[in-house]
Amino acid sequence: MLKMTDVKKVFRTDLVETHALKDFNLQVGEGDFVAVTGPSGSGKTTFLNIAGLLETFDGGTYELDGQDVSNLNDKHRSQLRNEKIGFIFQGFNLIPDLNLFDNVDVPLRYRGFNSAERKKRIENSLEMVGLAQRMKHLPSQLSGGQQQRVAIARALAGEPRFLLADEPTGNLDTKMANSVMELLKTINDAGTTIIMVTHDADLAKQARRNIYVRDGQVSEL
Amino acid sequence: MKQSQPQTSTNWELGPILRAMLRNKVGAILIALQIAITMTIIVNSVYIIVERNKDMQRDSGIDNENSFYLTSVGFGENFNVPNTVEEDLTMLRALPGVIDAIQTNAVPNSNSGWSMGLKTQSGVEHDAVGTAVYMVDDHGVNALDVEIIAGENFAPSDISLRTVGQVDWPNKTIITKAMAENLFPDINYADVVGKTVYINDIDPMVVVGIIDKLQAPWVNWSNVENVMLSPERQSFKGSRYFIRTEPGMRDTLMNQVEELLANSNNQRLIKGMRSIEETRERSYRGHTAMIKILTTVMVILTIVTALGIVGLASFSVNQRKKQIGTRRALGATQGTIIRYFMFENFLISSIGVLLGAVLTVILNVILVNAFGLDRLDWFYIPIGMLVLWLVGQAAVFGPAKKAANIPPALATRTV
Repeated sequence: MLKMTDVKKVFRTDLVETHALKDFNLQVGEGDFVAVTGPSGSGKTTFLNIAGLLETFDGGTYELDGQDVSNLNDKHRSQLRNEKIGFIFQGFNLIPDLNLFDNVDVPLRYRGFNSAERKKRIENSLEMVGLAQRMKHLPSQLSGGQQQRVAIARALAGEPRFLLADEPTGNLDTKMANSVMELLKTINDAGTTIIMVTHDADLAKQARRNIYVRDGQVSEL
Repeated sequence: MKQSQPQTSTNWELGPILRAMLRNKVGAILIALQIAITMTIIVNSVYIIVERNKDMQRDSGIDNENSFYLTSVGFGENFNVPNTVEEDLTMLRALPGVIDAIQTNAVPNSNSGWSMGLKTQSGVEHDAVGTAVYMVDDHGVNALDVEIIAGENFAPSDISLRTVGQVDWPNKTIITKAMAENLFPDINYADVVGKTVYINDIDPMVVVGIIDKLQAPWVNWSNVENVMLSPERQSFKGSRYFIRTEPGMRDTLMNQVEELLANSNNQRLIKGMRSIEETRERSYRGHTAMIKILTTVMVILTIVTALGIVGLASFSVNQRKKQIGTRRALGATQGTIIRYFMFENFLISSIGVLLGAVLTVILNVILVNAFGLDRLDWFYIPIGMLVLWLVGQAAVFGPAKKAANIPPALATRTV
């Protein structure tokens, strides 16, 4: 499903060279639920960005769903992101001027689905997260937990092969966090591979597999 | 979940963009208004410029490039005007390079001349048609380079001598085709030859000829094509001579004529020598100035509008960095982001140009009523809309490209 071999990522400024990932090796199988933990600055987010094709890398190879994505151009990376990957962000990243329906609609439009197909998928995904009745509401009219559910609906609407979650409960209280976590587990049970970056050790324990990133390298827990 | 194959269709995000604009409309309204006002001013300005240019390109009827005139002012007690005029014209007409020369009271397009009213029926109760008057002898048609298209020229015996204070008129006239059609709109201009018209309400003049074209002295006059020739020389102390030369001889002859006339009689002054080209340039100076001012205003307005669009789009991009990063993360290509901003601008511009079209017509109606301008031709409006659309698209392209360069990884960072 996802295979990174000796992946390197270096951030350079005029004076400093930071090795965010050093010989990073990781293999994630289909249907897995991997929690990635590690201290701040360890390279978790860099790993997530590379895994999600949000950033390029400087060495090694990366295979996603059997395809070597190391040298894809920006357009192909965008298309692959849209088709295969769902994103859940710590800050929800909903578009404030769009209602829930239009927010979930964003990646589907990029996919080129016709309006009937999009409508069906939006309604199904909002139904799945329990917000079908509020699809005409704006994000600002929802609680943090509800907003994250909308973000999950948006991530799922395109039926991605795997879901990348960056601190999905980082901005939520415990009750909301547990609710979101339950939702992620349900999604994983349905077959979607999930990689979740988190600071929360308790949350990480609920994943099927835990890895720890330190100094840009991965170790299995 | 199972993988589905995407459908192939182009999503312009019309609905979401419109709904988002409605929730955040102040900036969009301001830009749309700016576009509307700019279009209103630009379209009407272009129209005025085109009309002024058309005026300046109008055929004066005379040989502009090869004609000039001057004034001879007698001051001596023994200065005999009729004799001097006869001597001067004989000398001028004999000069190599001179096609013909006349004495006249006025010069086309010089902004100074005589006007009268002609009537088709005698009596003060009838309406007159305004006309410029050129007093010329039988050489007038040749010197002015006009063509008689019906009837005939004046005979030498038709030419009378007008004295200072004289109020009566000769009994023959030649008029322009335009004047003939204004006087007798229901008959062919050629049939106007032989008709009697009345000057000074009651003085009859028979139309002996029709000339194709000759403009009045006043370039802004609505009846500028209405002209009559009166078969007269003038016995005034100041005599204006109009001289037509062979092509390329004008400047040489201007110097030569001034010297010859000055030397031939020491009881007069030669002054006001000017080519028709210079005269027209002076007469149309107001037009030229207006064209320059309007062009400057249009350029400045277009730049200000373009900068306004650049400013709003740049502000919008800066405000939506996180959102753009998120859109990129969700699968938007760089092209999709560029298209989003350009389409958003297209929608704002569309509102602007539609409002602009209405305002353009309103301003034109005001200008027509206030200044007597012609009504705007319809095609100026779609052209104006297209230009403003293009200006908008060109202005937004830079910020849109900047937006497209926002990396998708920004979605996971704090901005």
